[in-house]
Amino acid sequence: MNSTVMKKTMYFFAVPALLFYCIFWIFPILKLFQYSITDFNGYAQNFKYVGLSNFKDLFEGGTLGNSIKNTLIYTAISVIAGNLIGLALALLLNQNIKGKGFYRSISYIPTLFSAIVVGFIWSYVYMPDSGMIATLFAKLGLPTDNLNFLGSYSSALYSIIFVEIWKNVGTTMIIFLAGLQTVPQDLLEAGKIDGCGTWKLLRFVKIPLLATSITINTTLSIINGLKAFDFPFIMTNGGPGDSTNTLIYSIYKMAFTEQMFGKASALGIISFFIIIVITAVTVLTMNKKEVSA
Amino acid sequence: MSQESFAKSALHPNPTRIPVTRINKGRVIKQAMLQLLVVAVMILNLIPLVIVLSASLRTPNNSSNPLTLFNEFTFASYKSAFERMHFGMAFWNSIVLTGISVILVVIFAAMASYPMARIKSKWSQFLYLFFLAGLVVPGQMVLIPIVQMINGLHIPSTQYTPILMFVTCSLPFSTFLYTGFIRSGVPDEVEEAAHIDGAGLFRRFWSVVFPLLMPVTVSVIITQGIWIWNDYFFNMTFISKASQSPLPLAMLGFMGDQQNPTQWNVLFAACILCALPLLVAFSFLQKYFVGGLTVGAVKG
Repeated sequence: MNSTVMKKTMYFFAVPALLFYCIFWIFPILKLFQYSITDFNGYAQNFKYVGLSNFKDLFEGGTLGNSIKNTLIYTAISVIAGNLIGLALALLLNQNIKGKGFYRSISYIPTLFSAIVVGFIWSYVYMPDSGMIATLFAKLGLPTDNLNFLGSYSSALYSIIFVEIWKNVGTTMIIFLAGLQTVPQDLLEAGKIDGCGTWKLLRFVKIPLLATSITINTTLSIINGLKAFDFPFIMTNGGPGDSTNTLIYSIYKMAFTEQMFGKASALGIISFFIIIVITAVTVLTMNKKEVSA
Repeated sequence: MSQESFAKSALHPNPTRIPVTRINKGRVIKQAMLQLLVVAVMILNLIPLVIVLSASLRTPNNSSNPLTLFNEFTFASYKSAFERMHFGMAFWNSIVLTGISVILVVIFAAMASYPMARIKSKWSQFLYLFFLAGLVVPGQMVLIPIVQMINGLHIPSTQYTPILMFVTCSLPFSTFLYTGFIRSGVPDEVEEAAHIDGAGLFRRFWSVVFPLLMPVTVSVIITQGIWIWNDYFFNMTFISKASQSPLPLAMLGFMGDQQNPTQWNVLFAACILCALPLLVAFSFLQKYFVGGLTVGAVKG
C-alpha cells in the first residue's frame, strides 16, 4: 500500500501509551541506576554519591548469592515441573472423556484467585499440627512430627514453588490444549497406521507440533519465576532465615524494611541484567529450536 | 457411564471385525480407567479449595477438623468476613479501579499498536521491541523510584493512583497482542475504501480497524483485567485508607489470621468472598476467558 494511505502521522497514535510507558516505566528504571550509586535512604533528599560501594557490599555479602540461587531454583523448578504437569493435564483432558469441558473449567479455577488468597489457603494446607496435610497424615496414621513445610529451612522454598505451580498450571494447560487442537487428526491416524504407540505419537508427532505452545509457556513461566515475589511475601517473609529470599523479595525488603534504598537499587540493577540475559537467551534458543522442529 | 458406552457400541456392532466383544471390553476398561484417573487428578488438584469452601460454611467458632467436610451449613462466617472486609465498598472500589484501568489499556494499547503494525520501518520495529522489553521488568523493582517520583510530582496518593501503574504495566503485553493481530489479521485493504471516501486517520482507525480487533480486545480485557483485579501490590503501595481499598487489599487485613486456626472459618469465608466475583464472571463468560487466553498463544 502506498505511503499516502499509511502516513507517518500515524506515529501520533502511539503518543499516549509512550507517555505513560516512559514516565512510569523507563524513567524509573533510569532513576534506579542513579540511586544505585548513592546512600539514599528513601527520605532524606541530601543523599551522597558513594560510587560503586553498594555493588561492592552486595558482592561481598551473602544476600546476593543466596537470592540468585533461590530465584534460579524457583524458576527452574516452576518452569520444568509446571510445564510437565500442565502438558500432562492437557493431554489427559484432550482424551475422549465424559465431562471434559467441566474438568477443563475447574482446573482453570485456581488461576482466577488472587495470589494473596492462594497464599492464605496454602498457609493452612502447610500448617504443622492443624493444617490440611498434617491432619490428613494423622488420619492415615502416618508420622506428623517432621511436617513443617514452611518452617523448615530445607523445605520452605520447594513448598512455595509448589504453590506457584498449582496457581499457574491452569493457564499452562489451556495454552497446551489450544496447541493440541491444531494437531491434524490425519497425522495421528497416519502415525497409528505406521505402528506408533501412544508414547511415540506423543514424542514424534504431538510434541514437535506443540513447539509454539511450549515456547509461549516456557517464556511466560521463566519471566514469572524470575519475578517471584508474591509467595515469599505472603507466606514466609523470606524465611525461615533467608531460605525463601528471592531477588525481588530481597530488593523489597532491603528498600522498605531496612531503608537502604541505594543498596536495594544496586540489587535492582543486578537483577535487571540477570533477568534480561536469562530471558533473552532462552527466547532466542527456543525460537531457533522451534524453526528447526 | 462405562455401561452406557458399552451399550452404545453393542447397539452398533461392527460386522467386519471378529473379536468384537474383546475390543469393546478393552475400550470400556481403558475408558473407565481414564475417567477414574481424571477424577483422582481433579480431587488432588482442588481438595484445598473444597476444604476451604466447606470450612467457610461453618460458624466462626466451630473448630472441628476442617477435613470433616460440610458438617455445618451457615453463613455466619461469611457475615463476619463481609463486615470485616467492608465487602460492598471493597467490591465497588475493585470495579472502579479495574474498569478504568482496563478501558485506558484498551484505548492506549490499540492506538499504539496501529503504527507499529502498519508502518514498516526501523523506528516502528524499535518501538515494538521497546514496549515488549518492559515485560521482563518486575514492578517491585521500579517501585522505589516510582514512589519517589509520584511524591516529587505531587501526584496525590488517592484511590486512583494505582491506575497509573496498572495501565503502564499492562502496555507491553497488550501492545504485543494488538500488533501481532493487526499485522496478521487486518489487511491494509480494509482501510482503502475509507481512505477513498476521505476519512482521516483517526476515523479510519476507530471506525474501521478498531471494530475488527474485537478478539484481541476481549483477550486484553480478560488477561489484564484478571491481574489488575487480583493485584494487591500497587494498591498496597498507594492506598492507605480502608475506605478506598479494593478486595485484595482488604484481604491483607487478614494477614495475621493465616497462622491462627481459631480464625480460619472467617478467613476462608473472606477468601471465597474475594474470589467470588471472578468465579461468577468466569462461569458466565467462560468461552471468552479461554478464547482470550489463547488468542495470543495461537497467533503469537
